[in-house]
Amino acid sequence: MSEQGSFGNPEIVEISTDILIVGGGMASCGTAYEARRWAGDDVKITLVDKAALDRSGAVAQGLSAINTYLGENSEEDYCRMVSADLMGITRDDLVFDVGRHVDDSVHLFEEWGLPIWKDKETEGVALADGGKPVRSGRWQIMINGEGYKTIVGESAKKALGIDNIYERVFIIKLLLDANEENRVAGAVGVSVRENKIYIFKANATVIAAGGAVNVFRPRSIGEGMGRAWYPVWNAGSTYAMAIEAGAEMTMMENRFVPARFKDGYGPVGAWFLLFKAQATNGLGENYMTKNAHMLKDFAPYDTAAVVPTCLRNHAMLHEMKEGRGPIMMDTPTAMKKLAETMTPREVKHLEAEAWEDFLDMCIGQAGVWAGMNVRPEETPSELMPTEPYLLGSHSGCCGIWVSGPEDMNSPEEWRWGYNRMTTVKGLFSAGDGVGASGHKFSSGSHAEGRIVGKEMVRFCQDNAGYQAAFKDDISEIAAQVYQPVTNYLEHKDKTTAEDVNPHYITPKMFQMRLQKYMDEYVAGVSTYYMTNAKLLEVGLHHLEMLKEDSVNLRAKDLHELLRAWENYHRVRTAEAHLLHIQFREETRYPGFFYRSDFPDLDEENWKCFVNSRMDPETGEWSLFKREHVDMVEKHYG
Amino acid sequence: MPTFVHTEKCDGCKDGEVTVCMYICPHDLMTLDPVRMKAFNQEPEQCWECQCCVKACPQQAIEVRAYQDIVPMGGAVIPLRTDNAIMWTIKFRDGALKRFKFPVRTTPVGSIDVYGGKPEPGDINSPNLFTETGKTLPTIS
Ligand SMILES: Cc1cc2nc3c(=O)[nH]c(=O)nc-3n(C[C@H](O)[C@H](O)[C@H](O)COP(=O)(O)OP(=O)(O)OC[C@H]3O[C@@H](n4cnc5c(N)ncnc54)[C@H](O)[C@@H]3O)c2cc1C
Ligand code: SF4
Ligand code: SF4
Repeated sequence: MSEQGSFGNPEIVEISTDILIVGGGMASCGTAYEARRWAGDDVKITLVDKAALDRSGAVAQGLSAINTYLGENSEEDYCRMVSADLMGITRDDLVFDVGRHVDDSVHLFEEWGLPIWKDKETEGVALADGGKPVRSGRWQIMINGEGYKTIVGESAKKALGIDNIYERVFIIKLLLDANEENRVAGAVGVSVRENKIYIFKANATVIAAGGAVNVFRPRSIGEGMGRAWYPVWNAGSTYAMAIEAGAEMTMMENRFVPARFKDGYGPVGAWFLLFKAQATNGLGENYMTKNAHMLKDFAPYDTAAVVPTCLRNHAMLHEMKEGRGPIMMDTPTAMKKLAETMTPREVKHLEAEAWEDFLDMCIGQAGVWAGMNVRPEETPSELMPTEPYLLGSHSGCCGIWVSGPEDMNSPEEWRWGYNRMTTVKGLFSAGDGVGASGHKFSSGSHAEGRIVGKEMVRFCQDNAGYQAAFKDDISEIAAQVYQPVTNYLEHKDKTTAEDVNPHYITPKMFQMRLQKYMDEYVAGVSTYYMTNAKLLEVGLHHLEMLKEDSVNLRAKDLHELLRAWENYHRVRTAEAHLLHIQFREETRYPGFFYRSDFPDLDEENWKCFVNSRMDPETGEWSLFKREHVDMVEKHYG
Repeated sequence: MPTFVHTEKCDGCKDGEVTVCMYICPHDLMTLDPVRMKAFNQEPEQCWECQCCVKACPQQAIEVRAYQDIVPMGGAVIPLRTDNAIMWTIKFRDGALKRFKFPVRTTPVGSIDVYGGKPEPGDINSPNLFTETGKTLPTIS
């Protein structure tokens, strides 16, 4: 092995640490902050991010609201809201736990410098000192959040020290322990800047690498392919790596399909909640009232205080399918109504708020309006549901099955050890990674990351003598992660144009094939989110061959090496999604996806978790039900 | 809305420690052509339009041009960011302009004192985070 490393002959760098944090987003920054405080000086903590901490993850461009701040609300009501939006199947222990810690994280953000809006009476008073936030909804508070991630990132960098942070290293695979069955011992990754392979040995590892985007064919397939609603760079690494390590997964059938402003995917929440705008079908009819009877099929969830997101989509999609589009958000009427009770100055302020909502977290939407001469006070805007995303922290709940807090009266099979530890010893998760507990958002992900930070320190104390040893041979692992480079170097000169070559597949074409199959067979936009057992069977067959072809991925440079492995992670995530949809024989999330062969909600047979595990030895999947229990009493309406 | 770089403005960050746009892009898109010493977006169809690179470029050499498969030509959304505020200029296709300014941070950059004035961590076997030492946490009974 060369000292410096060259393309095709990378240097192997081995790093030993006690705690390994994979990802540098909201959850990981929380983990870094909390873990460093509990750990003694002899405990080493290392964080690895594929990007730069200041602007990595879903909060890179900023946010205009913190969506989870309890304030005067109770944890019980928080559990009720989350459960209702996710059609009844969530883990109250995990949700309650986020609820009781989340405000503390928000208070830290404010202390660190995040501007949080206050009502007129308490302007300038910190939330922690009794300041009253401006709420755009019962759980949401307004912020000037363009710099949100730079602030939270700074706190994590300060806590850990810059020498313990590896940026631009993409983690590919978790490594299992040689001596102990079902125990994680570290991870392998590649530098995206230098010809280096990183092998991390760790006692405790957390993966919080976000959700999965671009698994499905996006609505826009030209230059606009990157215009996903969720961050295009989160590639399902969390789920794929957990699956391959043999962790039990939960609710991987769940997905999120947000209805957003068409093409720009700009947020609509402020328009509905703050400006009280109405959305109608092409005939000007309110499709929610018109289709209320359709939602009764999904009782009792249809009468929840806030109608579940999927049911709202369901009513919207019905109009689109019947040819009564386009769906329009009537922004001019909303602005006019507000102007009746406001001064011109206040109206101007309101207009700025409407634009800020985009500029803080979806700048592309502002670009669409500017390019199309759309002024919300004059022109209504079209809405449309996006392509599907997989995530566990926003309005979705797919992810890893984890152990819950020990001090709640939860079923025993929900707690087997450390809080937020997966079923693999030493492996933790948080944020988008943890399943069955959605609606954490930015603040809840940070708080959950902090819970993990503390628990990993406890784990290290209890396993102080641990010496990591890998089951697999390091040189074999290295050869495997650099296979796309080897494929390229070996075959590139065999054809006159290197992109078309029978010996390898480019990461881009690999991704397009995945997206095509997911779209057409696994309920993407082209079938109006509809699938059935036969379609899934065919889709799985195609995915199998795609998986086989993954060994032939090529990488012509380090950037493509990153893309190759991102897309491999997407395929693993896609596979889990498909298998779970296949297993759940009902339609629980209409508006997100439909089983045409099981079009009804089936509370009797399917009000349960669907969990799965892939055996890392054999690659065999098993899918099974786990009993659902409401720990907090639920009522709807 | 992929980024593009104005040829005459980009100096390749030759005097800096890092190539700023390349350092910051969360999706590894901005890269430097070492011969011309100019940056460019190597995969425009993967751009999220987050403008992280635009905000960070010391030469203000980067701009975003709306995705042409979606948006008519002529509009622009241009940020100008300092450590505590951001100014946005929105240019419509028909030439009209709008400007907005928003705060981004209430404290100086680099000023976070992470553990200053915070309680010592308490019992590691309790459910309390270190800032919650001494508090009785609610639980589901
Ligand atoms: C458009 C949009 C609007 C939103 N609106 C709001 C809102 O208004 N309010 C709110 O509170 N929340 C909002 N959210 C949700 C919030 O951003 C997420 O809930 C939160 O960021 C999830 O945290 P996380 O740590 O799980 O993931 P992220 O913050 O996405 O972090 C993932 C991290 O993992 C890294 N990574 C990924 N793969 C790898 C790998 N293989 N190896 C190494 N590192 C890797 C990434 O670079 C990143 O650092 C919004 C999100 C989006 C995208
Ligand atoms: S940050 Fe600006 S000046 Fe520096 S290389 Fe990029 S485009 Fe050029
Ligand atoms: S706008 Fe964002 S995604 Fe696009 S190149 Fe710049 S930093 Fe990267």
